Amino acid sequence: MEDLKRRKRLRHSLIALFTVIIFILPFIITNNYYRSVLVIIGIYTTVVVGLCLLMGYAGQISLGHAGFYGLGAYVSGVLTSTYDVSPWIAILLGAVGTGLVAYIIGIPIFRLQGHYLALATLGLGLIIHVVMMEEVDITGGPSGLTKSIPYLSIGRFELNTDFKYYFLVWIVALAAIILANNVVHSRIGRALRSVHGSEFAAQSLGVDTGKYKLQVFTLSAIYASVAGSLYAHYITFISPSPFGLMTSIQFLVMAVVGGLASIWGPIFGVTAITLLTEGLKYIVPKMIPQAGGEYEIVVYGVILVIIMIFLPEGITSGIVNIYEGWRHRKELADVTSGDK
Amino acid sequence: MSLLEISNLTKSFGGILAVNEVSFSVNNGEIIAVIGPNGAGKTTLFNLMTGIYQPTGGQVLFNGNNIIGMSAHRIAGLGIARTFQNLQIFNNMTVLENVMVGRHTKSKTGLLGAIFPISRVQREEREIVEKAMKKLTLVGLANKAMVGADNLPYGRQKMLEISRAIALEPELLLLDEPAAGLNSTETRKLVKIIYKLRDQGVTIILVEHDMETVMEIADRLVVLNFGNKLAEGTPVEIQNNQEVIAAYLGEEDLVC
Repeated sequence: MEDLKRRKRLRHSLIALFTVIIFILPFIITNNYYRSVLVIIGIYTTVVVGLCLLMGYAGQISLGHAGFYGLGAYVSGVLTSTYDVSPWIAILLGAVGTGLVAYIIGIPIFRLQGHYLALATLGLGLIIHVVMMEEVDITGGPSGLTKSIPYLSIGRFELNTDFKYYFLVWIVALAAIILANNVVHSRIGRALRSVHGSEFAAQSLGVDTGKYKLQVFTLSAIYASVAGSLYAHYITFISPSPFGLMTSIQFLVMAVVGGLASIWGPIFGVTAITLLTEGLKYIVPKMIPQAGGEYEIVVYGVILVIIMIFLPEGITSGIVNIYEGWRHRKELADVTSGDK
Repeated sequence: MSLLEISNLTKSFGGILAVNEVSFSVNNGEIIAVIGPNGAGKTTLFNLMTGIYQPTGGQVLFNGNNIIGMSAHRIAGLGIARTFQNLQIFNNMTVLENVMVGRHTKSKTGLLGAIFPISRVQREEREIVEKAMKKLTLVGLANKAMVGADNLPYGRQKMLEISRAIALEPELLLLDEPAAGLNSTETRKLVKIIYKLRDQGVTIILVEHDMETVMEIADRLVVLNFGNKLAEGTPVEIQNNQEVIAAYLGEEDLVC
């Protein structure tokens, strides 16, 4: 199939182009604050790629991904700071552990559907958050870990600046995108999309829908965990607050804004929301000096509603659709002008 | 031994008997038609045979194995494929991808293989595409392979469902009203495809209202009425069966 190969080539060249841009960017942007924002975007992208795989392809919602993100961060943080475990091994252990937690908890909660499943994952996220707050001996409670978390290093090369860390984070994010892309264009990806199209038909063709939903849930939890570990080694201090419900909602908004059923969606969604959040942090205190941190949730709510009404498939598909609509109108105009 | 043996199959929905103690068997290579007025329980019968519904009683033996209680995906894995009365096309996929899903039970790449597509996985993927294209060629949709499935007209979507079902290489194919909504040219094409499949050794059970087509292609018919089996026999026998005529084919004629 020539057509199939051409599409594959196009996908590969898009990824290659994107990789080049990613590696040039930190040389153009020299401001440390902007670089740190790019690092955070890379970390969030990894989480949201996994979440999009779950929501866009398996059609399952998760309101608990900040929990998995936090698990990764805490396993890395606690093991490296308190027990002097090698950071790389800690990341691996975090990923495996989080994957196991997601798998085992996924077995019962994937018997639920729709809103019930969303609520179950919400509860799961809250439970993990409560454990972080209450297990003071291990986690340090609400005030966080007392010992500082070491920087990651490759051999004796310590990744202790935004510039150096940027490359690690984005290599991971790119790997996350490429691997997710592999899944989407595989037997498993098709099986997942078929479930979205018609669960009856999928089952009647031998697709074990429950099995694949659970597997992708686990995979997306592992993505979140690795991102959490990277976050811990970047900030070198963790407390429970960045891993609460608000973060889960933030991930969800990023996924929806970017567009669920596209591997490029996460990057757009994460970038848009992160820039917006950073912008708000700057603007809102100037406009409303007494505003607390919670105004963000209002903004997220408004964005979610607007996106759902005007670009229900997210920015990425939205732009494509608008472009195609415009082209269609242009063609139509060309045809009708020929009539005159 | 017959390929499929249905005995005393019963399904009630809150006291309403949709299928009541229905028994019949299907031999290898046969084309069986299940007919009956609307609401006779034909589609329910299909849903029971494919694990979508669990029966209230009775059993279904496929190649000697009782498939009652098995989940739908396991039954598909045993070699029973079906199409749906209300089309269940994967509208979010291309025509080719739809049929590629049909190869699911015939391929085995797992999540790990999907994440890291080593050469074995790529080979399997190529094989899936090739087989799927063959099935599309069989129903005359090969030139639409890359089109979004939702862009096909109704008749072609029905053909797509058939090619998707046979991509599973089933021993038994259940067609739920395959001719409904087709024009006469499309129906002729459908009949040809059904014969072709039969020649390839596929056993076929179809639910159909188009009596002309049914009488032409079916080796035997099973007539259902209000969930009960009214009659079973060759097309000639059924056409001459007084009960069937009264209940179904010619009730209005008798009244007039």
